Amino acid sequence: MAEFEREDGVTRDNLVQRVALMEAMIAEGRQYTGHNAWIFVLWGLVDLTAWAWQNYSPHTGGPWAWPICLITGVVLTLAGKAMQKSDKGYSRNDVCSRVMGVWGMMGLAMGIYVACAILTHFSWQYSYVAALLMMLGMAHAISAMFLRWKMQGLVAAVYWAGGVAIFVCNSWRATNAIMLIEMGIVMVLFGLYAMWREPRGGGKQGACA
Amino acid sequence: MTYIERDGGTTRDELVQRVALMEEMIAEGRQSTARYGWMFVLWGLTYFAAIAWTVYLPYTEWAWPACIAACSVVFGIVRSRQSCVEGQIDNLRRHSLDAVWQVIGGGIILYLIAVIASGHGKEPEYLAAVLFFNGLANGVSARILRWWPQGVAAAIWWGCGTTMLLFTTRTEILTLFLMATFFGMIVFGLYAMMLENHMSSMVPGEQQ
Repeated sequence: MAEFEREDGVTRDNLVQRVALMEAMIAEGRQYTGHNAWIFVLWGLVDLTAWAWQNYSPHTGGPWAWPICLITGVVLTLAGKAMQKSDKGYSRNDVCSRVMGVWGMMGLAMGIYVACAILTHFSWQYSYVAALLMMLGMAHAISAMFLRWKMQGLVAAVYWAGGVAIFVCNSWRATNAIMLIEMGIVMVLFGLYAMWREPRGGGKQGACA
Repeated sequence: MTYIERDGGTTRDELVQRVALMEEMIAEGRQSTARYGWMFVLWGLTYFAAIAWTVYLPYTEWAWPACIAACSVVFGIVRSRQSCVEGQIDNLRRHSLDAVWQVIGGGIILYLIAVIASGHGKEPEYLAAVLFFNGLANGVSARILRWWPQGVAAAIWWGCGTTMLLFTTRTEILTLFLMATFFGMIVFGLYAMMLENHMSSMVPGEQQ
């Protein structure tokens, strides 16, 4: 230990304290994901609704299915977050802020990308649909690495596999099925899993909103 | 303070300690991004080389794989030498930044392999997606480091990606891609290198 002290003035106690703090932050970060997992469920349901509307009722405003559902999703997410913020029992740590930063940036990038693709009529291309899955996979993978959470890493791998599968299958039927599975079912299931985990992380104390 | 103590069981000293540690980590993270500014320049030049190959040279299908492979080798060699000389800065934020770039870099490579191998390389809109991925990496990094110049780099990538969906001729797409690469990667990399030079010329106590 004396070697540590000689090299850069860091004592053993200081290191132990740092490690403990980092572990606590990672645990709180996972709880944060669980606490906000309703957003995954919400967006899974939004995607499923838009998909069902477009496929089963294309003559009743079919082209508007995605724009309307996406805007509704954004409004509900913002309303839900505003309600959560009024809950005083939650504080915020560094890992939570970073996880929030990743999802915030992903949401912003995806929002711009989707809006532009819809407005310029490029949303039918395989490369567009695959890029959405790749982007979601990236956000999950980064979050998984921050939180050292294998389950979220697995979800990221599933999204990336879906993105690659769209190019490999090269058909609209397959692309539709992959979108349905990934954007709807995987998102809802992961959200429910994270919500189920949250209370096991110790409830509200130390989590973040 | 009593409110905080009652609420989350966190004392004032612990909070002060956390804030100090976070500030220290942010400073270290920015410094290490500045130290790795050459990577942005290297990858920017690689993009330029690959595009020049596809426009002016034969065997265009090999342009991207060959340039990316060559760049990866140079990148690996320089980075390992840099690590040997300077040692590693290890903190949670540094690891987070590594995670962001590794994941998004890996994702871009996987996406490009899938596009090219499946014969979708002729759909130029996939390049817009690549610009959005690059913007995402810069955006997340900027958010973690609270560093607005990198936020500007992210905005450049996203702006060019958006414009690429509006202007879709081959010349327009190439111009936008080169613009994004030049400003979002090479100029930002040079700025980071300049910052690193500036920081290393300062007395340690003056650095913030």
